[in-house]
Amino acid sequence: MGVTETGRASIPEEIPLPLEVRVHGRGGQGGVTCAKLIATIYAEQGLHVQTFGDYGSERTGAPIRAFARVDTVPIRNHNKVYRPHHLVVLDAALLGDDVLDGAEPGAVVLLNTARGLEPFADRHGRFRFAAVDATAIARRHGIGTSAVVIINTTLAGAYARAMGLPWEAVERAFAVQGLARDLPAAREAWDAVVSRAADEGEAAPVRRAVPAPNVIGIAEHVEDLPNPLRTGSWRTQMPLYLSHAAPCNAGCPAGNDVVGFVQALATGGVEAAARVLFRTQPLPSVCGRVCPAPCMSACNRGAYDGAVHIRGLERWIGDHVDAEGVRPPRAANPRRVAVVGSGPAGLGAAFALASLGHDVEIFEGESCLGGVLRTGIPAYRLPEEVLDRDIGRILALGVTARTGTFLDAAAIADLAATRDAVIVAAGLQRLTGLEAPGVLLPGVLQGIRFLDDVKRGAAPRLAGHVVVAGGGNTAVDCARTALRLGAASVTIAYRRGRKEMPAIGPEVDEAVAEGVKLALHRQPVRVLGEGRVQSLELAEVELGEPDASGRRRPVVTGRTAAIPCDALLLALGQAADLSIVPALPNLFTAGDMATGDGTVTHALGSGRRAAARVLASLDGEPDPVLPRPDLDSLVAPAHVRFSHFHVEPPHAERHRIGAHALGFDEVNRGLDGPSEASRCFSCGACTHCDTCMLYCPEGVIHRVGQGYRVDEAFCKGCGMCVAECPRRAMAMVQEASAR
Amino acid sequence: MSGQLLSANHAAAIGAALAGRANRTGRGFVSGVYPITPSTECMELLCNQEIEKGHVVRVESEHSAMAVCIGGAAGGARTFTTSSSNGLAFMAENVVAAALLRLPVVMVAANRTLGPPWNIWADHGDTLMLRDTGWIQMYCADNQEVLDTVLCAFRLAEDRRILLPALVCQEAFVLSHTMARTHVPTQDEVDRFLPPLDLPGRLVGTARIVGGLTVPQTTEVHRAQHHQAMGRFFEVYREVQDAFEAVFGRRPADPVVPYRADDADVLVVSMGTIGSTVERAVDVAREKGIRLGALRVRTFRPFPAELLAAAFRGRPRIAVIDRNVSLGFGGVLWGEARGLADPGAVVQGYMIGIGGGDVRPEHVLALAEDVASRQAAGAPVLMEAGA
Ligand code: SF4
Ligand code: SF4
Ligand code: SF4
Repeated sequence: MGVTETGRASIPEEIPLPLEVRVHGRGGQGGVTCAKLIATIYAEQGLHVQTFGDYGSERTGAPIRAFARVDTVPIRNHNKVYRPHHLVVLDAALLGDDVLDGAEPGAVVLLNTARGLEPFADRHGRFRFAAVDATAIARRHGIGTSAVVIINTTLAGAYARAMGLPWEAVERAFAVQGLARDLPAAREAWDAVVSRAADEGEAAPVRRAVPAPNVIGIAEHVEDLPNPLRTGSWRTQMPLYLSHAAPCNAGCPAGNDVVGFVQALATGGVEAAARVLFRTQPLPSVCGRVCPAPCMSACNRGAYDGAVHIRGLERWIGDHVDAEGVRPPRAANPRRVAVVGSGPAGLGAAFALASLGHDVEIFEGESCLGGVLRTGIPAYRLPEEVLDRDIGRILALGVTARTGTFLDAAAIADLAATRDAVIVAAGLQRLTGLEAPGVLLPGVLQGIRFLDDVKRGAAPRLAGHVVVAGGGNTAVDCARTALRLGAASVTIAYRRGRKEMPAIGPEVDEAVAEGVKLALHRQPVRVLGEGRVQSLELAEVELGEPDASGRRRPVVTGRTAAIPCDALLLALGQAADLSIVPALPNLFTAGDMATGDGTVTHALGSGRRAAARVLASLDGEPDPVLPRPDLDSLVAPAHVRFSHFHVEPPHAERHRIGAHALGFDEVNRGLDGPSEASRCFSCGACTHCDTCMLYCPEGVIHRVGQGYRVDEAFCKGCGMCVAECPRRAMAMVQEASAR
Repeated sequence: MSGQLLSANHAAAIGAALAGRANRTGRGFVSGVYPITPSTECMELLCNQEIEKGHVVRVESEHSAMAVCIGGAAGGARTFTTSSSNGLAFMAENVVAAALLRLPVVMVAANRTLGPPWNIWADHGDTLMLRDTGWIQMYCADNQEVLDTVLCAFRLAEDRRILLPALVCQEAFVLSHTMARTHVPTQDEVDRFLPPLDLPGRLVGTARIVGGLTVPQTTEVHRAQHHQAMGRFFEVYREVQDAFEAVFGRRPADPVVPYRADDADVLVVSMGTIGSTVERAVDVAREKGIRLGALRVRTFRPFPAELLAAAFRGRPRIAVIDRNVSLGFGGVLWGEARGLADPGAVVQGYMIGIGGGDVRPEHVLALAEDVASRQAAGAPVLMEAGA
């Protein structure tokens, strides 16, 4: 860059080159930008410039300085400006010895002041003075905030005029710096600035050097070459990629691969998840609504920030999967099996057999399939169309159904004679009664019949106060259904405490939220009334010695109280009627008839096991033992490296509250998406997260295909990879040589 | 007249972005950044650049910023970061790692005083603290030099004969925040100057860990290779100067920049912008008939010992200015340069501008006078510039 003669020619003679400009202001006024604008004006005239601020830790209001230099040659001076030719003072109150320091006689001082030149008439005569009320101008133009008026741009306009620079240069500089919107203010200042010449001959006063302040010492205040070291020879143990059993899987009575379907949902979407789920689960939308979810009680995430909402995810998959059931290929040796009863156990058995290509007929006494799912679960928990959809998928496997005939023992025996095998899964037909005086009064009903009547549209209108005796799901279903049918109030009388109620916890919570009252540690001992039930005597129950199951035995006391009662619903349990099951070698039982566990998921598992037993026995093989993981191979909370996972509370299902408003519309709308699946730790199942690979201090774990390979020559057996695996998908094993 | 009015921080960021885009046909550009006064503006501008195949990753610390660069460089990307002072101190572990892994990361440091107590102003102590980490170190004296040196640094660092990270140093505020006219090259020019990075043995498909356990003999070999790569710097740098001049039409300054040094009775040696202050003092002295001369050390690592020894030959009095104190010793540059003079020559150390004091020509003239009056060198002198 040579000397720029045109640059020199484009600015007035009086401006010396090299030129040094010093701007004084207060933090927040924009002094540095002011200096930058001034420098840019000269740069636009073709000159070399340099501009910088005197940076400090100053806050708003503290004095600051900024500098600009202008020359015809590149500027090598990196010092601050000590001998300014031009001083721009953004705040007249700053004007003092410090500001004027180093300015020679004849220097120009541009001042932002509301008082014009008057006050300086007999002061600082050796300088040329220029003044403008930049604050008032900038305020009029709304530059800055209501608290702080920013005057830098305004003052730059005044500077150009005072120094005799062309207005066009100002316009260009503002454009270059992206400040064109401030031009009108600059122009007003350009027009308004006034100035006064310097007094020839007035000399600069001699300034005495101020000694530097004493400083107190701090102590007075208080690419690798190949590695020649075969670290593999150090090893006594070797890491192994090894899956372990997730507790959710172990906890699922239906035998679902929970971690499998949840991970599939998280990584592959609904269809992928459904493929895993449908290996064992014919009723995902049903279980996804009414299962007590023992998997969730077992979930390792419960020990961290709340169990994964597995049931909600199962429902999501069941409700959103597109797949219709597809007829599987026929078995090599197809068996012909009859299933009596179409509750969850019967459906589970039929599904398991049909999936393997066997011929299955279902016999159901009612007119529709579903058993207790259809008759005993209120529609606000399990809408009919949801049940129909799940059952439809089972029938699509080729299962045939005969409805409307109840089979007695003789009919079942006939069936057994013409089929390879019969599975009886007729559920619990015997209802437990209440042994108390007055139970025969009209107004005392079996809860399960009541629910069935409601489903058939034959429900009694209820009014007044309804009492439900019992503490299981049937009791809660009865209570909430009673509310929906017009009962003014409903009380559940249960002989143990809230924690002991066998009903699903959230169902109880919802019942309470809907207004159902709980009379805990209470047992009806007498039903009173004339012509129909009118009141009920409840006795207090105390907890006595533990019984064989470890639960404390309830002891009914003599302390009683009567409460008004317009209807009493009994939900005290059911039992199997085994008289319909003849003893035949090709006849098997399943579900509550076989186990009495009383949940849909247990029944499904029982049905699946019965199917396996049937096939084994027809093949002349011993009863199959379905493997249960031993405790050592389970992933316990202590195996999960919680710190690997962000805390993220479970997603809640969308429950609507209000029995009267909702009627029999579904209360629980489910999760609002499948993202809950990504909370799953994937206990015991490798997710290819690379953690082992990244943590290996030797760097000897490599990706191969879908997994990893450990370089045995260098693995020193430190076990870091296994310790860092967040989910126990690895294990250390003793080397043969070290065993 | 061409050139944009830019701060050196912005010039550095623009240089890095141009270099990053120039690797678009290679493996792209990666930068890990974390702010610290006075290098924040550099990273901020970089974050706002559109860079094809570029990733500027904002991380939570300087240590991670360098880690991002290490990962990026190991994957074959062109890499850049910027930091300062205590940020560099925190980054140090990975600064060492980048060098020992021979990764061609380029970093711009805004030289700032180490604290506490906190002081944001210029001092070379922060990058000199990293003297022995195995990085190339170059110190700049003006805005244009910062941009040009960033571009040269990539080409040097990535040269197969060198393969070392390079640190470009610019003083806090005196350069970082000072605006001056700067020539910004076109992308096409930079493309011609900087070929796509072709790193041997880069990580591409398979993740693996680099830098596992080693043994003494391996380390001996690694160090020897590293040292030899440093030794090839000056030869390669000459080629880079030629190539730069051919493309951009101006020649980057030499590793040691002399100024009226040939006939000097007193030679003043310095680094960074103080070098230009010294040149101004030389002009003033020469006007008075005093034969003062100057040397500016632009490349500090590798140390230009031969170039300095040649320039010292026949010079009886040498003053070395350090804007740093190696506490308990003296100035770092003085310590390295004092053994290179003729036998019997006086090499006196002066530490000035510590903590950001404004070193001016009068200070230089005063110390030149001091060294001229000495018959033998004494203990290094700590001068106060104040301000
Ligand atoms: S975190 Fe996932 S894999 Fe682990 S127990 Fe819970 S649902 Fe199962
Ligand atoms: S961390 Fe690496 S060296 Fe240690 S046991 Fe695992 S694979 Fe082997
Ligand atoms: S750390 Fe991750 S990749 Fe490694 S075994 Fe465990 S789950 Fe699999």
